[in-house]
Amino acid sequence: MSLRVLTDTDRQSKLEKGQSRILAQLDGICKKFAGAQHNALEDIKIEVFQKDFLSIVGPSGCGKTSLLKMMCGLIKPTAGTISWPTSNFQNSPENPANLSYVFQEPNLLPWMNVYENIKLPLKIVKEDTYSADEKIYEIIHLVGLQGFEGYYPRQLSGGMSMRVSIARALVTQPKVLLMDEPFSALDETRRFELSQEILKIKKEKNLTVVYVTHSIYESVYLSDRIYVMQPNPGKVFEEFDFSGIEKNEDYRFAPEFFEQAKIVSDSLQRAQHA
Amino acid sequence: MPKAYSVIVILSLFILWEILFHTLNMRWYLLPPPSMILESIQSNFISLMGSLAVTLKVTLTALLASVIISVCLAIIFYFSKFVERSMMPITVILQVTPIIAIAPLISIWVDSSQMATLICAFLVAFFPLLTNTIAGLKSTEKNHLDLMKLYRANKYQLLRYVVLPNALPYFLSGLKISTGLALIGAIVGEFVIGPISGHSGLAYRIIESGYQLEIPKMFASVFLISITGILLYNAVRLLSFMILKNWHSSFSEAE
Repeated sequence: MSLRVLTDTDRQSKLEKGQSRILAQLDGICKKFAGAQHNALEDIKIEVFQKDFLSIVGPSGCGKTSLLKMMCGLIKPTAGTISWPTSNFQNSPENPANLSYVFQEPNLLPWMNVYENIKLPLKIVKEDTYSADEKIYEIIHLVGLQGFEGYYPRQLSGGMSMRVSIARALVTQPKVLLMDEPFSALDETRRFELSQEILKIKKEKNLTVVYVTHSIYESVYLSDRIYVMQPNPGKVFEEFDFSGIEKNEDYRFAPEFFEQAKIVSDSLQRAQHA
Repeated sequence: MPKAYSVIVILSLFILWEILFHTLNMRWYLLPPPSMILESIQSNFISLMGSLAVTLKVTLTALLASVIISVCLAIIFYFSKFVERSMMPITVILQVTPIIAIAPLISIWVDSSQMATLICAFLVAFFPLLTNTIAGLKSTEKNHLDLMKLYRANKYQLLRYVVLPNALPYFLSGLKISTGLALIGAIVGEFVIGPISGHSGLAYRIIESGYQLEIPKMFASVFLISITGILLYNAVRLLSFMILKNWHSSFSEAE
């Protein structure tokens, strides 16, 4: 059984063995929103390993989205630090090309067609637009949007729009992909399809993914590691390690999958009432 | 084909008017029939078209000025709450004061009657454009702004890719209102200020024909003003359609 709750010594030994290098470290993060009585997030400690698929699971309102927005600088923590120990200037998260964020909704600009929407980040960060076309078509191919370049967002289905959104996030060739319940508006089949694709892209592009969700099955299926959060105030409740499990299509119907899902589910239940 | 219906309705009203004129034996100098108005347009064609050109020039120049100034002001207001709070009341005062009350003052201050009329037209046309554009800029979705923040977009990129396109539908619906208002402003201005130097516009043709008891010509001028208004309005509608057809829900094609 490769699933277990990580203890501090586990984590330490794992790091010392050099199995994983820390890409980002969130330490003592607190967030109190203006006008709020209590902290939304309290003393959060999260480590993101390189090439990790990390999921943050928790009930609604426990501050998962806030955490993600802090990682990409959209909101500032009230206290605590977010550090990126291994990055130098070129690949620091301050360089926006290295960090992409996929919103809960596709968040496409309705006045631009698919091609222009995907191209937008390149135009903003002014990465050499010389090879832009090539990059864009490679990404369009990767997410299976060939033939839809000229479509406008309102002509696309929910799943298609999400693909465009993912393509837009990938076009700057980021090292880290932050995803905020990206598939919550899609039906089960589409969700699975797109999850598969995310796994494929992650492997192909050597991405580190931080994934926020409230779906236990999705997180168990996709993740190397899972942080379970508790609400009021938002805190890390437990941490699980699933790395080393071979994840093929059959895995989601395998008994181990359900066993693991049950463990996470139990943890989540306890977290709700902690 | 709702457009065809409206044309039929208007045409039948004209025919009814013509028939009533003849059957009720009405006086032509009180209410000339459509046929007489058309005849008047024909016989005064050159002078009326000249006047129309003058009025149209004032209208379009005023419209262009209000588009440029209102969009620039709206952008400044969008980025500076302070400027907005201090300047907005002035624009409101200009809007709520009847143009007919300010026009005589303007004609005293400004030598050229063409310029004075233009200012009148500008003052009426300007406000809907400004308020609509500001509303459009401010209605930009939080998520879209976040997206720009994520990529560290500068102010110019923010405007160009997100905020201005977002305001476009609002701006265009302001333009629909302002086009009509600019024409009204140009007419009202000329009524109060007097004939535009060189060649008088349509408003002065109305006054003139009134004095000379050329009632059909008076109606002909009014008729031309209405037609111009309708054409201008439809031109803006066509423009909106061409710009927004691809992405805006107000133009989504029927299934």
